[in-house]
Amino acid sequence: MGKYEGDPVWDDVVPIPQDDGEGALAAIAYTDEYAEAMGYLRAVMAAKEYSPRVLDLTEHIISMNAAHYTVWLYRASTLLALNSSIPVELEWVNNVALDNQKNYQIWHHRQILIDHLYDSMSSDPAALKSLAESEVAFMTEMFNEDSKNYHVWSYRQWVVRKLDLFDKGEIECIETLLRQDVRNNSAWSHRFFVVFSNPKYCTPGSKATEYDPKIPGEILDREIEFAKAATFEAPQNQSPWNYLRGVLKKGGRKLSSLECFAGEFVKIPEVGEEDIKSSHALDFLADVWAQKGENEKADKALTLLGDKYDRIRKNYWDWRRTSLK
Amino acid sequence: MALVSGPGRAGALPDELQLAVEAHVKYIQSLDTRRDELEYWLTEHLRLNGLYWGVTALHLLNRPDALPRTETIDFVLSCQAENGGFGAAPGHDAHLLSTVSGIQILAMVDGYEELEKRGKVVAFEGKEYKGKEVVGRYLSGLQNKETGTFAGDEWGEEDTRFLYAGLNGLNLLGLLDLVNVDLAVDYIVSCANFDGGYGVSPGAESHSGQIFTCLAALSIAKRIDTVDKDKLGQWLSERQVEQGGLNGRPEKLEDVCYSWWVASSMTMIGRLHWIDGKKLTEFILRCQDPVGGGFADRPGDMVDVFHTCFGVAGLSLLEFEGLEEVDAV
Repeated sequence: MGKYEGDPVWDDVVPIPQDDGEGALAAIAYTDEYAEAMGYLRAVMAAKEYSPRVLDLTEHIISMNAAHYTVWLYRASTLLALNSSIPVELEWVNNVALDNQKNYQIWHHRQILIDHLYDSMSSDPAALKSLAESEVAFMTEMFNEDSKNYHVWSYRQWVVRKLDLFDKGEIECIETLLRQDVRNNSAWSHRFFVVFSNPKYCTPGSKATEYDPKIPGEILDREIEFAKAATFEAPQNQSPWNYLRGVLKKGGRKLSSLECFAGEFVKIPEVGEEDIKSSHALDFLADVWAQKGENEKADKALTLLGDKYDRIRKNYWDWRRTSLK
Repeated sequence: MALVSGPGRAGALPDELQLAVEAHVKYIQSLDTRRDELEYWLTEHLRLNGLYWGVTALHLLNRPDALPRTETIDFVLSCQAENGGFGAAPGHDAHLLSTVSGIQILAMVDGYEELEKRGKVVAFEGKEYKGKEVVGRYLSGLQNKETGTFAGDEWGEEDTRFLYAGLNGLNLLGLLDLVNVDLAVDYIVSCANFDGGYGVSPGAESHSGQIFTCLAALSIAKRIDTVDKDKLGQWLSERQVEQGGLNGRPEKLEDVCYSWWVASSMTMIGRLHWIDGKKLTEFILRCQDPVGGGFADRPGDMVDVFHTCFGVAGLSLLEFEGLEEVDAV
C-alpha cells in the first residue's frame, strides 16, 4: 500500500494516474512512491484544492524531483491562497536550492515569494534592508558551492534592481568573489552591470554596448585601475581584458589610452625573440596600432597570434589582417 | 521518448574516428522502451522535448522513418491541453517550450493536416478557432505587450529562450503576424553585453546558449543587422578550447551541446570558419558511444538524447559526410 493510499488525511481523494499509453509501472519502489504522489497531485489540481496538505504533498514530490515545474507553480498558488508565511517558505527553499544546484524553477519560485514579500513591506526601509541582507547572505552560500551558477547570478541582478542594491556593499561582494577566483567571468559581468546601470549617475536606458556621457570620470578611473590590477595577477585571463574594452567604450575613451599598460605584457624587439605574456594584450595592441594607422606593427601582432600564440583561431586572425588594408 | 541517460558511456573509439550511425538510430529507438527505470518517470515533464530531440537527430542521420510517424503524431496531439497549447505529456498543463516542441515535431513529420483535423477547438476572445490557428493564438497570448518578450506559461517567467521559442513556433506555423515582432527585437537588442554577447535578460552574463536564442530570434525577425558580428564572432570563437570542443562561457568546461549553440550562432553571423572545424569534429566524435549509440557531454561521460541531438546537429553544421544539412535557426 502506498504512502497516501493508507493515509486517512487523503481518504477523500482518488488519484489520477499518468496516461502515458501502454507500459506497466515500475519495478523500483522509489518509482512507485513518485508515481503515487503525482497521482494525488493531479487529483488535487483537478479539484483546485489549495490546502496545507497540498503543501506537504508538493514538498514530498519536490524532494524526489525538483525539476518538475508544474509542482512548483501549484505550490506557489497554494501558498498565496493560504496566506502562508513567506519567511518560513524561504527557509525551506534555501535548503532545496542548495541541494539542487542546476535547478532553475526554484529561482522563479523565489522571485514570486520576494515579490509578494516586497509588496507587504515596501514602506518599511528597515525591513527591506534586512530582506536584502538575508538574500545576499543566501546567495553567498550558493556561490560557495558554485560561484558561476548562472541561475543565481540572473536572480542576483533581479534582486539588485528590485531592492536597489547598486551600492558599495554590492561592489565589495563582487571583489570578495574575484579575490577567490579572478577568472570568474560571472562576477566580472555582474560588476559591469552594477557599475554601469546605477540609476544614481547613469543615463536611464543606456545600453551596455554604448557610450554614456554621464558616467563620472572618477568611476571610469576606478574601474580601469581595478581591471588593470587583475590582468597583472593573471595576464592570460580574458575577463578583465574584455572588461577594460567595455569600460573604455562606456566612457568614450580611446583604446590608445591604455597602450603603455598593454605594452607591459608584450615585447617585440627589432631583432631576436619576442616576449609575449598575454595573447589578449597582443590583440589589444593590434587594435590600438590599427586605429593609429600603424598597420605594419598591427600586422606583425596579428601574424604572431595566428601562427604562434592562438593557432586554433588562425582563420580569425588572418581575417583581421586582411581588414587592415 | 525518454530522457534517461546511459546505459552507454562515450569513448573507446578506434583510431580512425567514424560516426556510428546505426548505433545512434538504435539508441534513440530504444529510449521509449525503458519505462521500468526511475529516470523515465522523473523526466516526464520533458517528454515532448525529448521526442523532439530524438526525431531531429533521426532526421539529420537520414533515418526519418526510424520512429513510426502515426504514433508520433498521436502522441503529440494527445499532449494538447484545453487552452490550445501543448503540455510535456498527456494531462500536463501547457507550456511554451513543450508547445514549440510539438509544433517542431509536427512540422518535421508533415503532421499539420492531422492537427487541423484532430486538434482542439478553442475560443479566443469569443471566437472559435481550430488547428494551427489555435496553437498560434495560445503562443501569441504569452507575449508581454509592453516589453515584447514571452512568458513560459501563465505565470510569467520570462527570458530570451522563451522569446526565441515563441517566435520560432509562430514562424513554423506561418503566423508570425499574430505578435509584435519589432518589440521583441528591441528586447533582444537590450540584452547585448559589453563583450559582444547576449544574456538571458538585460545585464545578465553572456552565455553561448542565450546567444543562440537571441541570434535565432533575430534571424526569424530578419533583423540580424542589429548584431555587432565581428565583436560577437570573436567572443564566440574564443569558446574553442585546446581539445577542440567549445564551452558556454569563459573559463568553463567544453560540452558537446555547445558545438551546436556556438557553431550555429557563428553560422548565423557568417563566421563559422573562424574556429578550427576539424578539431571540433574530432571532439564531437570522441563524445559518442560507438557501440551502444548516443553522445555524451564530453568523452567518458554518460550518453543522453539531448547531447545526441546536438552532437549530430553540430556535425551536420560542420558538413560531416552523410548527414542531412541542418538549418542553423
